[in-house]
Amino acid sequence: MTTEVNPITTEIIRNAFNSIAEDMNAALIRSAYTPIIYEGKDCAVALLDDTGEVLGQSLGLPLFLGNLSLCVQIVAEMHGWDYFGEGDVVFLNDSYIAGTHLNDVTVIVPIFWKGERIGFATSRAHWLDVGAKDAGQPTDSHEIYQEGMRWAPTKAYRAGEPVDDILTFLKRNSRFGDALLGDLHAQIAAGNTGKDRFCALLDRFGLETVWASRDDIFRQSAEMEHETIAAIPNGVYSAEGALDSDGLTDDAVPVKLTVKVEGDHMTVDLTGSAEQTRGAVNCGATQTVSAARVAFKLLVNPRRPVDGGTFTALDIVAPEGSIFNAQEPAACSWYFSSLGLLIDLFVKAMSDVMPDTAAAAHYGDSMVLILTGYDQSKNDELFVAVEANTGGWGGWNGNDGQDCLINNVNGSFRDYPIEVYENRYPIRIQKYGIRADSGGAGKYRGGNGSVREYQITNDANMSLWFERSKTTAWGLFGGMSGKPPEVVVTHPDGTELRALKSNATPLMAGTVIQVKTGGGGGYGIPAQRDPDLVQADIENHYVTDTEAEKSYAV
Amino acid sequence: MYRVAADIGGTFTDFVIEDQKSGEITIGKVPTTPENPARGILNGVSQLIGDPKDIEFFVHGTTVGLNAFLERKGARVLLIMTSGISDTYTIARGHREELYKLHYRKPKQLVPRKDVHEVSERLGWDGSVVTPLDESSLQPIIDKVKAENIPAVAICLLHAYANPAHEQKVAEILAKELPGVSISMSHSVAPEWREVERASSTVMDAYVAPVVELYLETLKREFLEIGMQQTIHVMRSNGGVMTDTHASKHPITTLLSGPVGGSIGGVELSKSTGVENLLCVDMGGTSFDLSLVVDGQPELSNETVLQGLPLLMSIINIDTVGAGGGSLAWVENGGLRVGPQSAGSVPGPVCYGRGGTQPTITDANLFLGRLGKGSLLNGDMTLDMTSTASAFETLGREIGLSATELAEGMIAIGNAKMADAMRTITVGRGIDPREFTLVAFGGAGPMHAVELARELDIKQIIIPRFPGTFSAWGMLQSDIRHDFSVTYYAVSDEADTDRLAGMFKDMLDDGKKVLIEEGVPEPHMEFTRSIDLRYVGQEYTINVPLADAANLDAAIEKFHDLYQARYGHALHEAAVEIINLRLAAIGRLERAAVSGSTEQASQEPLVAHRNIIFNGRSHRSPIYKRDFLPKDGVFQSPAVVEEASATTIIPPGYTFKIDDIGNLLIQSEEDV
Repeated sequence: MTTEVNPITTEIIRNAFNSIAEDMNAALIRSAYTPIIYEGKDCAVALLDDTGEVLGQSLGLPLFLGNLSLCVQIVAEMHGWDYFGEGDVVFLNDSYIAGTHLNDVTVIVPIFWKGERIGFATSRAHWLDVGAKDAGQPTDSHEIYQEGMRWAPTKAYRAGEPVDDILTFLKRNSRFGDALLGDLHAQIAAGNTGKDRFCALLDRFGLETVWASRDDIFRQSAEMEHETIAAIPNGVYSAEGALDSDGLTDDAVPVKLTVKVEGDHMTVDLTGSAEQTRGAVNCGATQTVSAARVAFKLLVNPRRPVDGGTFTALDIVAPEGSIFNAQEPAACSWYFSSLGLLIDLFVKAMSDVMPDTAAAAHYGDSMVLILTGYDQSKNDELFVAVEANTGGWGGWNGNDGQDCLINNVNGSFRDYPIEVYENRYPIRIQKYGIRADSGGAGKYRGGNGSVREYQITNDANMSLWFERSKTTAWGLFGGMSGKPPEVVVTHPDGTELRALKSNATPLMAGTVIQVKTGGGGGYGIPAQRDPDLVQADIENHYVTDTEAEKSYAV
Repeated sequence: MYRVAADIGGTFTDFVIEDQKSGEITIGKVPTTPENPARGILNGVSQLIGDPKDIEFFVHGTTVGLNAFLERKGARVLLIMTSGISDTYTIARGHREELYKLHYRKPKQLVPRKDVHEVSERLGWDGSVVTPLDESSLQPIIDKVKAENIPAVAICLLHAYANPAHEQKVAEILAKELPGVSISMSHSVAPEWREVERASSTVMDAYVAPVVELYLETLKREFLEIGMQQTIHVMRSNGGVMTDTHASKHPITTLLSGPVGGSIGGVELSKSTGVENLLCVDMGGTSFDLSLVVDGQPELSNETVLQGLPLLMSIINIDTVGAGGGSLAWVENGGLRVGPQSAGSVPGPVCYGRGGTQPTITDANLFLGRLGKGSLLNGDMTLDMTSTASAFETLGREIGLSATELAEGMIAIGNAKMADAMRTITVGRGIDPREFTLVAFGGAGPMHAVELARELDIKQIIIPRFPGTFSAWGMLQSDIRHDFSVTYYAVSDEADTDRLAGMFKDMLDDGKKVLIEEGVPEPHMEFTRSIDLRYVGQEYTINVPLADAANLDAAIEKFHDLYQARYGHALHEAAVEIINLRLAAIGRLERAAVSGSTEQASQEPLVAHRNIIFNGRSHRSPIYKRDFLPKDGVFQSPAVVEEASATTIIPPGYTFKIDDIGNLLIQSEEDV
């Protein structure tokens, strides 16, 4: 039984759904305590209907795409829909439910209108510290218990009243307890904003009209999506690659992905990927679904906002006990390295049938350098300098890949200005540049990675998480692959250390750390590259004479 | 004698002319002459004023700098940075503006990498010299600039905000070796930390410099030729004005010279009406801009981004919300959409008869009778009603609506979208729009104002006098303003207050010097100090007024309050960092008090009735001429108020009147 609703009302309601999500996001960012949320935008919000389908969402971190909807549905499966009472606030971070690492906390505010549960205002945000064994995030954890507190669905508020025991417990178990409660309340504020605005929309249009419009909106999205998939030839498409290691051993961690297109439907199957590992590159199935959706969205109608009609053409199979559907007690702290590779492989698998939409692979990982120590010039104050590094993206039919751009699983990242970094930490950045010749050659070349050189002027401990040296950024259609990352540490005595992963390695003042990130893959046969572009690359020092001669015979 | 403001727009240059004695205001429009905008101004002066000797004060908003940038017709610039780190300019902090995009390219920089060069030198974060300047490393650069005839050089050295000595030395050498080449130094354009943003600002300054200088020289020469001796004033992005001499020295400050006039007009309106909080919307054919007046003050920001390029400069916050009257209707999988695509000025709305076939919001207003057939551009334009009606019928059939339903629906969708966007902006700033009064201007603003206000639950709406030229009027209300800043990084309780006071003193001396050069007498000078603060570890700062340089505690208290207002909580125990010190040097300009027309309306205001569709029903609505509305009457909606530059549509449920100074005040009846 569908109520007829006119397209004008539907469009006003559709815009309002997205606008409600934007307001929730604005409220969250406005009131969050942790810079990771209000500056890094490591968060996401969604307004959901009574069955947990997305009405509107505001984009924060892409990797959280569609995940909030699944969380609400899983909780309902566990406890029934009536678990969500009026005035309740439910939170959870269990990796095997929400999929991601424990720092990412999901908050659910059920919405009631005229006594009836009609939806959910939900958000997720990265909390600074959830009581892991080391401050921030350990690179060497091997079970989830080392990574912090783990919460199944838990009520922070019950019927409008705070559950004080729970709030006190949370506060006592974090190194930054006040910030933790502040961020929880920011998420609740976002939920209340969504609740108020959704109820105002219902006051104006009534439930029947809003649901009729919802059905119409979902139908439009689903139709668009199915039309796009139907245009892709039926078939089975696959790709595989590997992570360098799980951080504890040197063994590669294989990832295999098969996409089956049948009519207007697509199935992504991860069978053949590694069993869950001892090191922290695992994630729960929910997060794998999100990553597959991100990849799907990169290729299918990227500009259309996400709603309950989106992803109706997509199914995902993640074998239980694999790194993509890890079970207790698998460690999940660095889960995003596996998912970054999954996204790249999805695009690769589809590239034969979507050659113009696809792109060659990007450098693939956040490539994190962490330096910590006690600053002697500031009364031995603790400093923690954590930064991801930019690298090269893949070329595509029509243009070169971008040089020095942050990787696909990151949100609103910006690198630290050198002037700010040097003011804050006892470290000098001697060089920050574009790594010439690191992008793969091609008709459209891969983007170059970056080079950064840090000189520490104070003793410090170094942790590294650099991935994708074994499966470097591949080229497409004859394009070459990009160069792998490299980290060289030169001690004051002139000896060198080469490593891509490490946990808290002690270094003396005067040590120089040179960090090179990988380049992106090239697209198309290098010989077909426009000679003017080769010339321009040489003039602008993106490509050296030697490399130009070798790859482009110039 | 007259005070005159000219606002150069894409199609028309608007004039507002104030008689200094009587305060009487007249307005006028002449076509803009894009190849030489000075021409259009001169045409306006001769047509609207007659004898240029009668001009006592002239201010204008110029778009030449902005257009040179938007059309990428600025000068070729060579950028010099510190050895080892010059790629920071090209890398531009490595972030993505769009997240679901495999084919992402960063915004294109104004200087290609081959024109970015390094000079051997290095300063530490405290300004100490780590590596002295190697002057010989400049030689290849000098040779290149000579050989390739490069007209402009930008210099941005690491930590120059802490110690400008190396930049000054480099500039000195270049000035000697390269006469005639325009040189911009980062510590002078934007003496604040963050090398990428500072380099980007310095490059922008160098990029528009030759174009802006040439334009101002031309205008000045042509003014002199017709006998106008007065100084030319230019509107700056910070909402103040400056003389042409200073504009030539700091071309980047003219970049957003045009749109800020409306915001300053809003501030003046706030003063004259006593309404402290205003949401100002400027809606034209192709744009919809929002700015706020909070507690009678404009919202200033110290950085902005233009087409992806960051700029450190003092600027009035203006958010572009939508596409204005040109927003197009289209159908996607059975759903009706309005915007964000705009018909622009070519082909423009269907009714312009220039080949447009997709209906726009402007067409919908015309089709519904909200816009009179003769009301666009004073009736100088003939409108194609037949094509307009058929465009609505065609699209309506496609989606199962009558032409009228479609037209009204488009306006409803357009208004709801704009209101949604406005609400999100205010929510993000911790402001409740319901506590604001809506001020609408621009050609299309008054047409949508009341319905927008209703969407936002705003009860009072002000349509100022001459809404179509309100930005130009705002320019007449500004003062001379120069902003100074310097980075001083310290945790607040460790700050050296003597040093702080010294830095403020230096800025004050500089400010005084500039104001004297601008011809401002001492009693008209005003200086305000402020300070950028943040909690330790944060990235963004809040600018806090500082009454007394020696009393940081008061500023820190105020910071906690502002933080609370903006973010909903404050961290009273947390340490606060000082980042930048700022000083505004203001030269008050004398002007007549804001007044309405002195003539009493003598003619009958009610000129006609028109059938207008509101909520699907046709209402026989009176059409009033605004100029003849008496000041003592209160009128009832539905109604249309017409004037030369705009049409105000007032749907059922409102009363309205003209106040003492000529504003049209509209009040929701729900509230009375």
